[in-house]
Amino acid sequence: MNPALSVILFTVSSGAGFGLILMAVALSLMGWVPGMGPGQTLVAILIGSVLASIGLLSSTAHLANPKNAWRAFFRFRSSWLSREGVFAVLFYPVVLVYLISLWVARDTGSLAWWGVLFGILTALLSLATVFCTGMIYASLRTIPQWNSALVPANYLLLAISSGTVILTLIADMQGVELRVLSGLALVLLVLSGLAKLLYYIWIGKPQGPTLNTAMGITRAKIKILESGQSSRSFLNKEFSNQVPAQTLKKMRWVVYLAGFVIPAVLMLVVFQTSMMLLSVLAVLLLLAGLSIERWLFFVEARHVVNVFYGQ
Amino acid sequence: MKLGLVIDMDTCVGCHACVVSCKQWNTSGTLGALTDYEPYGKEPNGVAFNRVRSYEVDEYPNNKTVNMPMSCMHCETAECVTVCPTGASFKRAEDGIVLVDQDKCMGCNLCSWACPYGARELDQASGTMKKCTLCVDRIYDMELTEAERQPACVLTCPTRARHFGDFDDPDSNVSVLVRERNGLQSMPELGYNPVNHYLPPRPKPNAPTHNGGQLEPLTDRFKKWLNKVVVR
Amino acid sequence: MSRIKTPSGGSVDDSSMAGVAKTMPAFEDHSRQTKHYTTCYMCACRCGIEVTVEDNKIRFIGGNPNHPVNQGVLCAKGNAGIMKQNSPAKLRKPLMRKAGTERGAGEFEEVEWDDALALLTERLRHIRATDPKKLAFFTGRDQMQALTGLWAQQFGTINWAAHGGFCSVNMAAAGLYSIGQSFWEFGDPDWERTKYFMLWGVAEDHASNPIKLGIEKIKKRGAKFVAVNPVRTGYQAVADEWVPIKPGTDAMLALSMCHVLLSRDLIDWGFLGRYTNAPFLVINHPGHSDDGLIARDEQGNPLVWDQGQSASTNGMTPGAEASMFGEYTLPDGRQTKTVMTLIAEQYLDERYAPEKAAEVCGLDADTIERLALEMAHVAFKETIEIECEWTDWAGRKHDRFIGRPVSMHAMRGISAHSNGFQTCRALHLLQVFLGTIDVPGGHRAKAPFPRHIPPPVKPAKEMSPNTPLKSPPLGFPTSPEDLVVDDQGRPLRIDKAYSWEAPIANHGLMHMVITNAVNHDPYPIDTLILFMANMAWNSTMNTSQVRDMLREKDESGEYKLPFLVVVDAFHSETVNFADLVLPDTTYLERYDTISMLDRPISDPDSACDAIRSPVLKPDRDVRAWQEVMVDLAGRLGFPAFVDDDGKPKYSGYTDFIARWEKAPGIGFLAGWRGKDGEKPMRGEPNEKQWDKYIENQGFFQHHLPEHMRFYRHVNRDYLAWAKEVGFNATDDPIIMELYSETLQKFRLAGQGFYDGPLPPDDVDKARLVQYFDPLPHYYLPLEEQRVDPKEYPFHAINQRPMHMYHSWDSQNNWLRQITTQNFLFMNRAKGESLGIADESWVWVESHNGRIRGQVKLMEGCQSDTVWTWNAIGKQSGAWGLDKDAPEARKGFLMNHLISELLPKMDGADHERRLTNSDPITGQAAWYDLKVKITPASADEAGTSWPQFETMQPLPGAKPSPDQLRYSTHEPVRLKRSMMDILKRRS
Repeated sequence: MNPALSVILFTVSSGAGFGLILMAVALSLMGWVPGMGPGQTLVAILIGSVLASIGLLSSTAHLANPKNAWRAFFRFRSSWLSREGVFAVLFYPVVLVYLISLWVARDTGSLAWWGVLFGILTALLSLATVFCTGMIYASLRTIPQWNSALVPANYLLLAISSGTVILTLIADMQGVELRVLSGLALVLLVLSGLAKLLYYIWIGKPQGPTLNTAMGITRAKIKILESGQSSRSFLNKEFSNQVPAQTLKKMRWVVYLAGFVIPAVLMLVVFQTSMMLLSVLAVLLLLAGLSIERWLFFVEARHVVNVFYGQ
Repeated sequence: MKLGLVIDMDTCVGCHACVVSCKQWNTSGTLGALTDYEPYGKEPNGVAFNRVRSYEVDEYPNNKTVNMPMSCMHCETAECVTVCPTGASFKRAEDGIVLVDQDKCMGCNLCSWACPYGARELDQASGTMKKCTLCVDRIYDMELTEAERQPACVLTCPTRARHFGDFDDPDSNVSVLVRERNGLQSMPELGYNPVNHYLPPRPKPNAPTHNGGQLEPLTDRFKKWLNKVVVR
Repeated sequence: MSRIKTPSGGSVDDSSMAGVAKTMPAFEDHSRQTKHYTTCYMCACRCGIEVTVEDNKIRFIGGNPNHPVNQGVLCAKGNAGIMKQNSPAKLRKPLMRKAGTERGAGEFEEVEWDDALALLTERLRHIRATDPKKLAFFTGRDQMQALTGLWAQQFGTINWAAHGGFCSVNMAAAGLYSIGQSFWEFGDPDWERTKYFMLWGVAEDHASNPIKLGIEKIKKRGAKFVAVNPVRTGYQAVADEWVPIKPGTDAMLALSMCHVLLSRDLIDWGFLGRYTNAPFLVINHPGHSDDGLIARDEQGNPLVWDQGQSASTNGMTPGAEASMFGEYTLPDGRQTKTVMTLIAEQYLDERYAPEKAAEVCGLDADTIERLALEMAHVAFKETIEIECEWTDWAGRKHDRFIGRPVSMHAMRGISAHSNGFQTCRALHLLQVFLGTIDVPGGHRAKAPFPRHIPPPVKPAKEMSPNTPLKSPPLGFPTSPEDLVVDDQGRPLRIDKAYSWEAPIANHGLMHMVITNAVNHDPYPIDTLILFMANMAWNSTMNTSQVRDMLREKDESGEYKLPFLVVVDAFHSETVNFADLVLPDTTYLERYDTISMLDRPISDPDSACDAIRSPVLKPDRDVRAWQEVMVDLAGRLGFPAFVDDDGKPKYSGYTDFIARWEKAPGIGFLAGWRGKDGEKPMRGEPNEKQWDKYIENQGFFQHHLPEHMRFYRHVNRDYLAWAKEVGFNATDDPIIMELYSETLQKFRLAGQGFYDGPLPPDDVDKARLVQYFDPLPHYYLPLEEQRVDPKEYPFHAINQRPMHMYHSWDSQNNWLRQITTQNFLFMNRAKGESLGIADESWVWVESHNGRIRGQVKLMEGCQSDTVWTWNAIGKQSGAWGLDKDAPEARKGFLMNHLISELLPKMDGADHERRLTNSDPITGQAAWYDLKVKITPASADEAGTSWPQFETMQPLPGAKPSPDQLRYSTHEPVRLKRSMMDILKRRS
């Protein structure tokens, strides 16, 4: 696939944003983080909403005919993109109400029943949106690398692990105690890192249709002679890239290190001795690493149409 | 009706007549002008619904060249329709033709991601996805003669390698061809159940040899031939 | 419930379609559309097209289902007509090179037609009045050679030819000197009945759509299709068997198959005995002027040995019992042998055994033998018959046509070699052995063929001021007396056609004109007019040097070629070199004829011709070249074009075509002749003839009755009719010449024994002796004889893709989305063994020069061969393309590597430089090229070489657009309702 920058930005930003919101709601409702009251939660939810909105807005940027974007909600019945859109839009009024409830709860210190309700709804909508994003990709049989439960699993895990790391930083800025958060972040980073590794192993094996199944000729090897095109068409620009294999290998290392290993180490340190600089570093590295991870996710995905081009 | 095409890989010589005929018909057709980018420039490319690619099977000197024209297969399980969020992409109930409503498409490209066959292309000038319409604007035009009510690519094909018909009718030309020539679907394992079928290259015809007379030395043969007479 | 029929013979349920149709909007407003029928012009196939016009723009171009050539289909080029019509490279107005600027610099100014024609007329008038041969007029891919040839004849210059010498004269001439028809335009495989089809050396076209239609028919029938070609693309892709032959060795394959057939007695003796000169007696008298000639009686009739009478007798006596073999003594004591004896001796020799042929051709001996025996099976064990009464030349009645259903087709892969003439004769010999000429299932002639062998037209020799030539500039020599040479044996034509260097040069040698004109060899000319010939680029050999020659000046600073007129419709590389540019219309803007006097479009069952009529009016100041020629002919006072007072006789081209007669009742168009159009084929001019053609969709088709469709060379009724309608001068039977007495006469001249003109130069004598074998033979191509095969190990050839034709189609927006750059294709295993990677850049070098291009490795390429698409590479700035278009920066021309002159033989420095052509016909031998391939360095990769300066845009040229959105009306949409969107599950 040829990744559009806007799509990378979209999924990383909104994934992180919704993950942040999900974790913030869950943790604050459970009360697992001492010092994380309505006020702190409010800030987290706000930042999360901003991140999610940046993402969602940028996703509409890659539409070729945005004036019809409002129609995108009508095929909820069949389309994961439609569902993602519906959930994303429903998210706003719900989160607004939740934010109001948090604002009101700042003074009282405890959330009204309707605040709890809308909190849960906010969390569910965040979860649903991220899940739908993952399913958009996973439901495509045309991209064998994506056609697996590992994809929505990855999207969710990365969302909540990145969300937790960001939450750690936000908590740090508000003077909240960081042990639970950083510990949770560490665990989630490890889990999502392992899931990512599993994905990389999984896409390593050859899979999917070949020129033999494309043409119904099984007797021998088939190679392309002419593509019938003198230059790249929409299909090539959208679905193929010419990134050399060496670069991909290097990028995987960047993903491991910047996306998982170093942030995990940093979270471990923060667990012991909180230093805001470390949290900042962790967030920045993480976002950079996740951007590379998302880029790789697209670049290493080979749409089946490339088979017809002999690749 | 289940309308679609049968394409014969045994006679397709890769001449691209169908490619250009399609372009020609559809640029003034129901989807609006098909944009050509850099028509006289360094990387000319344009929206095309039908492309012909050539492949080589096996190795020299046992190689065979096979040409494969590809356009929308109007699949029974058309995932391009499933994934479309606006409903612009749809499959008609009356005849199974998969179309894109140009007034509703938002140009998200997801349908092209869902298509294994590369049938859909974005026309940047209109911001919408375009694809083969099975010449819906020809086949129902009752002001044309019966013979003309066929897709442009079918009418133009010089080796008569393209056939149009109703797969729901077991006696139609397309159904008969698929049965008799073992017509196949491309990438059937993906489960899209494409309606367009391909006819594989025929096996070599039986060509017996005639060994004629005995091989004998030239002088003996000449002796036999000396009496050969033909009446003028 | 009715059904709609489909072309493949099936049907679609009509009532369902009709029912659904009622729910559809009206997508096309047919009331705003008109249909016109004319003829496509993209290649030489000349398919009939139906053009739908809407608001003076082309809505759609499709094949005309009623047209005999294409029956409704149309190739990619024809389908792209809209973009040809809209090409930004169209010329807009006559141009003159600005005074004081250099030729080739592209500095032009627009001039008015009146001024341009006045200037040209004066110049031509002067030439015609003083020394007519100083006008050379050569045409390229045009389709009106009967008119341009007539014009040259009326002008009085012999320096005229079309492109055949560069293209495929070997094939046309070989057929006309052997079987009275030939492949391509003069004959066709019997697609309806053939059971075995062998295709030799055919690029992806010629004859384009008819071959495509035919291939489908024969495959459906289960016939076997064998393709002999070093490359497996195009037609070869769908062949049942691919024979990857080494270029230039096809004669060996054909003659080896003849060897196999002879050695197993698998010959159609009856066919040979009755319809060919196989039983004729050949004089055996070495050292004398009658050696090797056919023995004849006092009336000139050829002699055979009648076994019953034990005496020689006139071979054209019906009932004579001709001996096929033997040595016989004539009453006057001369020794003779039958032609068949010579044939058997020649081809049964071990030299032509399959094992030997296998080495030469790069094939298996088993394959060669098997192919011959497969064809023999079809010919002799799968014979077909058509029950039909017919009468032969001697008045004998027959009740059936016997068919041996093996057919063949061949084109430039056979022709464009310096051994192509004999190679093509070898193929015809093979066809005759199997008894397949003009029989059901075999290779059938197309009207006006078959014709006598050869047709009785001699090329003109004498010129005098203000006098038309006595005969056409091109003809068919049969002896040294017919050569167009002076008393010393020196060439009289500027291209040296019909000289000792190329005696049977029936289509001229276009590729030598510029070289000879600039070298003043044999003499200087004044004006060269080029029509539709891109001779400063792809329609020439040795391109760089030819371009330099066009610019060469003598000591006084004048151009050695003083005046160059280029007539074309588009901004080609050659237009850039002109002193005067006359812009032509496009094919949709003109009247034109596709005439039986010229390059016919008949099929085996009917005599056909066609017209073009304008569909659009030109939107710029251009004129159809035919109109200009008629105009010039009037101004110059050509006798055929002016009345007794010297005033122009015709009001224009269409008037000329309708009223001019070549002979009483015979004109350019055969349809609807006679005062009221009631006389097909021959009759008085009909003023309304053009209207009749337009009424009938632009073509005329005269069906032959069944009894006149086969065995026409000996079919009495056909021969009578052919004479009546002017195809043939007599109704004598046409006897095929397996043994060519014409060639033998030239050979005798080379030996010095001929009783008549002899060649002055030793080098010509040697060529006549070596190559003019009266029986077909194989010899190593001339270039290969003179270059070291170890240094230049690869054969390099060209093909044309199916979607482009010569230089004409890179300017087409739709077609160049398919191809912009040509690659050098090479066998994968071979390339890898040499360390040449796929898509790497290489130097390709011949004895003449070097070029750089990009390689593509493929399986379907004979190991010792490399090839490319021809004419894709362009000069930067030509054809309305961006100056950095891939056609210019990455495309390349193989032509640079090919010299129009042969390299000198070792130790023969004094030898006259010979033309790189077939020594018999002068056919340009561009497929003889041998090259070596070496990888280019890293900094050389990415651009082809040589590169030329960017051509300047012409005055008045509009810049080419960056984006195109072509349509002729606002689209009528099919919409989906909101309810449907919401309700449907999928």
